[in-house]
Amino acid sequence: MANRLMCKTMGVACLGLAMAWSAPAAFALADVIETPARPTDLAPENLLNDATRTGDRIVAVGERGHIIYSDDEGKTWVQGEVPVSVTLTGIDFGSETHGWAVGHSGVVLHTEDAGATWSLQLDGIRAAEMAIESREDQIAAIEKRIEEAPESEKSDLEWALDDLYFALENLRADLDVGPVNPLLDVWFENDSHGFVVGAYGMFLRTTDGGETWVDWAPRIENRQNFHLNGITRVTGGALVVVGEAGQIHVSVDGGETFQRRESPYEGSLFGVIGTGQVNEILAFGLRGNMLFSTDLGKSWRMIPNSAGATLNNGAVAEDGRITLVGNGGAVLLSTDGAETFRENFRSDRDGVMSVVPISGTDLLLVGEGGVKITDARGKNLQ
Amino acid sequence: MSNPKHDKGEHYLTTPKAEPFLERLIFNNRALILIAFAVLTLFLGYNAIKIQPDASFERMIPLEHPYIVNMLEHRDDLENLGNFVRIAVEAKEGDIFTQEYMETLKQITDEVFYLDGVDRSGLKSLWTSNVRWVEVTEQGFQGGTVIPDNYDGSRDSLERLRQNVLRSNEVGRLISDNFRSTIVYAPLYEKNPETGEALDYGEFSRQLEEKIREKYEAQNPNIKIHIVGFAKKVGDLIEGIGSIAWFAGITIVLTTLLLFWYSRSIAGTLVPVFTSIIAVFLQLGTLRLMGYGLDPYSVLVPFLVFAIGISHGVQIVNAMAVEAAKGFDSVTAARLAFRALYIPGMLALISDAFGFLTLIFIEIDVIRDLAVAAGIGVAFVILTNLVLHVLIMSYIGISQSGIRHVQNHGEKQDRKWRVMSYFAHPGVAPISLLIAVIGLGLGLYYKQNLKIGDLDRGAPELRADSRYNKDNAYIIDNYSTSADVLVVMVKTPKEQCTQYNVLRAMDALQWELQNTPGVQSSVSLADVSKMVTKALNEGNWKWYEISRNQTIINASIREAPAGLINTDCSLTPVLVFLEDHKAETLETVVERVEEFASANSTEEHRFLLAAGNSGVEAATNEVISSAKDKMLLLVYGVVSLLCFVTFRSIRAVLCIVIPLGLTSVLGEAIMAVSGIGIKVATLPVIALGVGIGVDYGIYIYSKLEKYLLEGKPLQEAYYETLRSTGKAVMFTGVTLGLGVVTWIFSPIKFQADMGFLLFFMFLWNMVGAIWLLPALARFLLRPDQMLAKARAAK
Repeated sequence: MANRLMCKTMGVACLGLAMAWSAPAAFALADVIETPARPTDLAPENLLNDATRTGDRIVAVGERGHIIYSDDEGKTWVQGEVPVSVTLTGIDFGSETHGWAVGHSGVVLHTEDAGATWSLQLDGIRAAEMAIESREDQIAAIEKRIEEAPESEKSDLEWALDDLYFALENLRADLDVGPVNPLLDVWFENDSHGFVVGAYGMFLRTTDGGETWVDWAPRIENRQNFHLNGITRVTGGALVVVGEAGQIHVSVDGGETFQRRESPYEGSLFGVIGTGQVNEILAFGLRGNMLFSTDLGKSWRMIPNSAGATLNNGAVAEDGRITLVGNGGAVLLSTDGAETFRENFRSDRDGVMSVVPISGTDLLLVGEGGVKITDARGKNLQ
Repeated sequence: MSNPKHDKGEHYLTTPKAEPFLERLIFNNRALILIAFAVLTLFLGYNAIKIQPDASFERMIPLEHPYIVNMLEHRDDLENLGNFVRIAVEAKEGDIFTQEYMETLKQITDEVFYLDGVDRSGLKSLWTSNVRWVEVTEQGFQGGTVIPDNYDGSRDSLERLRQNVLRSNEVGRLISDNFRSTIVYAPLYEKNPETGEALDYGEFSRQLEEKIREKYEAQNPNIKIHIVGFAKKVGDLIEGIGSIAWFAGITIVLTTLLLFWYSRSIAGTLVPVFTSIIAVFLQLGTLRLMGYGLDPYSVLVPFLVFAIGISHGVQIVNAMAVEAAKGFDSVTAARLAFRALYIPGMLALISDAFGFLTLIFIEIDVIRDLAVAAGIGVAFVILTNLVLHVLIMSYIGISQSGIRHVQNHGEKQDRKWRVMSYFAHPGVAPISLLIAVIGLGLGLYYKQNLKIGDLDRGAPELRADSRYNKDNAYIIDNYSTSADVLVVMVKTPKEQCTQYNVLRAMDALQWELQNTPGVQSSVSLADVSKMVTKALNEGNWKWYEISRNQTIINASIREAPAGLINTDCSLTPVLVFLEDHKAETLETVVERVEEFASANSTEEHRFLLAAGNSGVEAATNEVISSAKDKMLLLVYGVVSLLCFVTFRSIRAVLCIVIPLGLTSVLGEAIMAVSGIGIKVATLPVIALGVGIGVDYGIYIYSKLEKYLLEGKPLQEAYYETLRSTGKAVMFTGVTLGLGVVTWIFSPIKFQADMGFLLFFMFLWNMVGAIWLLPALARFLLRPDQMLAKARAAK
């Protein structure tokens, strides 16, 4: 009967299907990183995790390998061709046409045509292999240092060595399962130089447009391999990485070296943006916690707000307004350079993951329920 | 030219020399036979009274269809998935955040808790402790019941309640989108776990009405209660069956009045009614002895049996009156009536019975039951009509007023019959045929839109404006939910139902389906896993994905709803919510699933169709659409064969069957136009319409043939036919129509549909026989050859 049903729809393809049916050597589904994203009209209405502008185009990424772009400020969308169907988490462009998207299974995707077609540059298996290699190198280096180090420093080094072994074991165990861990954000300076950050301290750098990657995790102080959730460059040129357990890492030399900043907050930070003023950093995360620094993170001030909702991302409009978005439909607006924020909640209470300012004070939000075009307070237009 | 044998009403097929054997057998043992009938009636009547209603779900579905086989095989694993009631408590003014509303809701929750049949551990409302809000904090989760601690109905605690509701993730599920109603969700036990007794749907539904709806709507005038769920629907259906008793009474009274108007004889009225009722008792008693109960379908059969009994009884009363008018005594009149009628009568009744029996080939038990019930009924009608009825009349006789009525009335009507005999006129017949062809064309055109399955929104068994369907519409409009659910079962080896590959495959299927027109949304363990994985990662949507790490998957589904995973983790369902239950929707969705299943089923996970109401409907539709043509072929084949055996002429068969075909086509066109689909209820109507409809043609043709063989020209022969049987035939159509027309008022929608369609088919078949048959005869019959052949046979 299955055959009959299929034949009805498939017409000429019937013969082939009938054969497939008689010999039910059923093949399992291909892995999600080998399954191209299904073309669908539903992408703009389903979970989107990040959105960015490149030229006149807005590009957004989301679940099931969805990458969609709009050339009319979000009114209509086209789905890009994507070779994977994992949940994508972050997107950034190094130039108007060259962009990168990251997501689960450690995938890095690359486009050279401003988002229309994408190719897979890196997956979680390769990323994990690199991480294992560099942990092994680190272990070798530390073991050597322990031999040479004075007795007083030895115990610290041994602690570090333990942590490294622990991390190595975890990486190997994960690799046995497959590409288990997601990348969570991406930032590119230009067509060649960029970083991706991710779960359990994943941190990789490329200087050749993603052709090759270098494990950059050893360059930051994150011995317990906490998640790294966000990366951005603030006005003035400093790079900032934030993550779990209040991590804030700042680089003032274009990413060659990072310094860990003391954070007044121990919880997770999910995102970081500049405010448009030189050396100002606004980091934010769990339960509406918002950290503001005007000196590249040497000192911090918590910005009080009663939103109580986790904040995911933010954007600065041309007129300097700062909008932060978060779970529970939170849309926070500052018109005074992050001194104070006014809280609004969307009536649908859907989580908002990213915001792109569009014409006037209007916003394009993406998140749990897909794309929403709203006013400055996050209230739906139309 | 006149043949004396024929004048006595003897049929040329019987041996011309002797009285028919059957006639001698019956009339020589009149008293004995009557006594035997009395005994049989007492015995079966006693059983008939004790017959029980039986609305078994299983009998209404095609048990042999692979979907249903799969569903029943895994019924225990899916048990509590579909059986629940949802009670929406609506605040007419204002919203739910008032002290009065919350107090009433609390009392209702308590009341439902104590209803028999409710699985108390699964009961959910704002007032139960399993409805919680949760929030991610730096330390992990924090949460609590939606009803705040120390709730006292104050403005402050109502405000805290409002905040908790917003955080609870239950808006759209337990709380309506507009905050004007909330739901009390009560899962039910199929069998009481303590006593093992099956849930009494009728009683449960009554309790919901009395203890919940009536009581609390009276107590708090600002609330309105809406109740939906399978149990409530079945309860309402059972209640609906009760109204049948009224219909039975009305039908009997109307028929009796009509019969008296027709015969003007007390005996000629009461005896057919009496014998037809006896046929009904004999039928019901036999059914009970065979182990059947009365379901919403077979409860209609007694009406048919009664109507068929009356309509054939009329023929006998008519024939006796005609004979008595010639001066024969009542026994001779009865004999002659019997002799004239037993062949066409038996033929007509046997084709009725065969028409019903073709339904046995449809693999749905209620339809088979219907076939059996109707077949038995007609078998008894043969006995009660041709034997009991004739014998009683042979004792009582027709009153003089009845005879006079036949004579007078007959003469008065002659002019009318004369006019109608022009249907056989060579000038009129082509016009009739042309009209018939146009009608056929129109019918074929409109019947293109004929759909399989139920077409109305909500519960199709009940009327669109029934209380249940209004409640259902309210809940669909105010909550994110659909009443049409297709369940795809995913079967895995034991303890393997949560493996990454299984979830991944379910997720792929779901996405395929969500991209299929007609699918609203879907839910499976994969969604739960993604959602909880996200929650475990501090509520960060970037983690909304099925983890490849089995430890994380296991953690993510630890709190999964019971219905999504069976006890030994070998079966997990994908629930697909559909926009409606139109046949196209179901077909498209089922096709996609079949494609996906055949491409992606492995040892690790096999995708099986189907459970859920939509799964059952999809299977039923398939059975019905494949059975429909088979059944039509069979019923027409059987009817044609019987006619051929009797009249030994293809031309005769065509004269009788073509009008039926026109009625069938027009009937389907009417179904298409009035939005009635082909379904369990209406499929039998087609067979019944043909099987019973053929009676008219048989009675008319047998007379027509008789007069033609006497050498009369066609129009004259038809005039004589109408004179002798036209009135009885027309009366038959009206009685049959009357027998079913009351169903139109049934609260059960499919009964109403059946009544409406049968009413049309019975009446229109009568019109077809009287109007179209003679026109066809004009073109098809060769009276000269018929005469020559009849002579040669002697």
